[in-house]
Amino acid sequence: MAGEHEIQLAGASASAARRAAEDAIADVLRIEAKYSRFRDDSVTSRINAAAGAAPVAVDDETYALLNYAGQCHAQSDGLFDITSGVLRRAWNFRRDPPAIPSSAELAAILPLIAWRDVEWSERSVRLPRAGMEIDFGGIGKEYAADRVATILLGHGMRHGFVNLGGDIRAIGPQPDGTPWRAGIRHPRVDGVAIAAFDLAEGALATSGDYERYFDLGGKRYCHILDPRTGRPVTHWQSVSVAAPLCVVAGSCATIAMLRGEGATAFLDAQGLAWLGVAADGTIHPPSAR
Amino acid sequence: MDVIRVERPHEKRGGALLLSALALPGVVPSAAAQSAPDKGIFEVQYLSYRDWQPGRNRMKVDAPAFYTLMPIGDTWVVEGGMVYDAMSGASPLYFNVLSGASIGEYRTAGDIKVTKYVGDQAVSFGAFVSSEQDFLSRGASLNVQYFSEDRNRTWLLGVAGNNDRINAVNGVAPNSKRNSLEFVVGITQALSPNDIVQSNLTYYTGHGYYSDPYKPLDTRPTERQTWAWLTRYNHYFADQDATLRLGYRLLFDSFGSTSNALDVAWTQALPWYGIAVTPALRFYTQTSADFYKNPPFPLGYVDGQNYSADTRLASFGAITAGLTIAAPLWDGWNVALRADYYRQDPDWQIFGSGSPGIQIFAARWFQVNLTKNF
Repeated sequence: MAGEHEIQLAGASASAARRAAEDAIADVLRIEAKYSRFRDDSVTSRINAAAGAAPVAVDDETYALLNYAGQCHAQSDGLFDITSGVLRRAWNFRRDPPAIPSSAELAAILPLIAWRDVEWSERSVRLPRAGMEIDFGGIGKEYAADRVATILLGHGMRHGFVNLGGDIRAIGPQPDGTPWRAGIRHPRVDGVAIAAFDLAEGALATSGDYERYFDLGGKRYCHILDPRTGRPVTHWQSVSVAAPLCVVAGSCATIAMLRGEGATAFLDAQGLAWLGVAADGTIHPPSAR
Repeated sequence: MDVIRVERPHEKRGGALLLSALALPGVVPSAAAQSAPDKGIFEVQYLSYRDWQPGRNRMKVDAPAFYTLMPIGDTWVVEGGMVYDAMSGASPLYFNVLSGASIGEYRTAGDIKVTKYVGDQAVSFGAFVSSEQDFLSRGASLNVQYFSEDRNRTWLLGVAGNNDRINAVNGVAPNSKRNSLEFVVGITQALSPNDIVQSNLTYYTGHGYYSDPYKPLDTRPTERQTWAWLTRYNHYFADQDATLRLGYRLLFDSFGSTSNALDVAWTQALPWYGIAVTPALRFYTQTSADFYKNPPFPLGYVDGQNYSADTRLASFGAITAGLTIAAPLWDGWNVALRADYYRQDPDWQIFGSGSPGIQIFAARWFQVNLTKNF
């Protein structure tokens, strides 16, 4: 799990806050170890290693995450697909000079993006074709933030928030009742806030084209890839979504990026507060301007 | 800069995705048995007590004790403790701050309490026994607590019964009994995230042997009622990481005495190793019982009337100053060291004048607590 993470607690003794934070951090590390695709012994790596072969047994937690990923797939008309990570094989955002993969390269990978072919149940999951991959990016970190909030609340903490790499879940306002102010990063100017959300509870997550990308020929190529074409999305520079749960905010922000123009209708239908920066730098929805 | 206020995102619809996200384990607190402690406690304590009057050491008490609290399942909690006191030394000449009927050689006491949390309520049943060579006390209690939906308010209703047997070693009043009932009604309210206030009203009624068998001519009423009103207020200062605790108790006793007690404590978290220090002060003042007679003994004694020269029933004021230092150790263990100094003086009685002819009395306690949370 990359990025900067923090837990801020107020209105509690230092020792009680430390104990609560220690419990919370332990759970974040547990989830990281369990689902990281960078660790050979993670659940994700074991599922991927068995692609095209035997089913892999899953526990309740993994089943719940798969189930949620399936819901995101359905709600996004197939755009949010946890098997689309295989496109990383064609898109290398660290390569210098950068290169755009050919249509043939992408066409060879697209058949491996197929959530609807994944065989999964409460007991096991199987990726039907060798070379297929899943990952819980876009869900796992946000899920961890929600669990942190529950753990902190269970310790009696009532004021604070958790920030896992820009995905924020508040557990309650500041001790004087004022909400926490969460800034929205300017998608093109590092370190500058373009707007802010006042958050007393609930969550805020942002998906943007500035996390992993390269610029070529005046065009931005980002890591959020449309599973239908295998190519980066271009409609939004970033979308921020506020929701009761961080996992909802995070997945809706990603779905909005993928839906492009259709994001407004999608987010409004979800009934969520949001802020998007379009490719031309304009802020949406107009009421947020 | 645009600021978007999202005050109550949980009231937003959130759509189908929110519904399925709620199925993820641990993303929202479970509503079941929110109030039941989910951690156990084991505590051992050692108390050392010593008191004195000008020119003489009086009494020494060394008391090891333990206490444990254990959650069982989601909704049951069992807690209990034992204490063993070893006392030596003389009974104080004029003052005696130790409660109890006598100066025995040792005391063994234990209690157990079982609490069941059901939805918005908790019901506790407790039993208690204390035994000395010449004194046996047994009691039972029943408490019901009601929690408001947001857990910011708790109502308490309680009743306790006590049965004491007194068999003084000097043969005065053999096989004497004392029975009492106590009723309590209380409310605890969180006023804000940093303020909590508690107010309890307790009524005690008892009948039986209330005299002190070791004090010559001591004759007290055989009925006793008290009303006690206790109010406590805690405020947490976030900037200082400190808590102010205030307490006030007013007590009316049918023996004729009225007492006031004011407690002030400040718990300050220090920036090192989770250490917290708590200086505390208690101011106490009481008026004398109707049948208390000032020295010299036995001035004022009339055969057949109530009489006591016990200076605990006199008119006086007292101050207790204490300091507690608490620190976490490792692996859930915590240590607390506490020292208290107590001094009482008839001149410190603030409602009316103090009883004349009584010497100053002082005492100190040291206490060590080791607590393990598991």
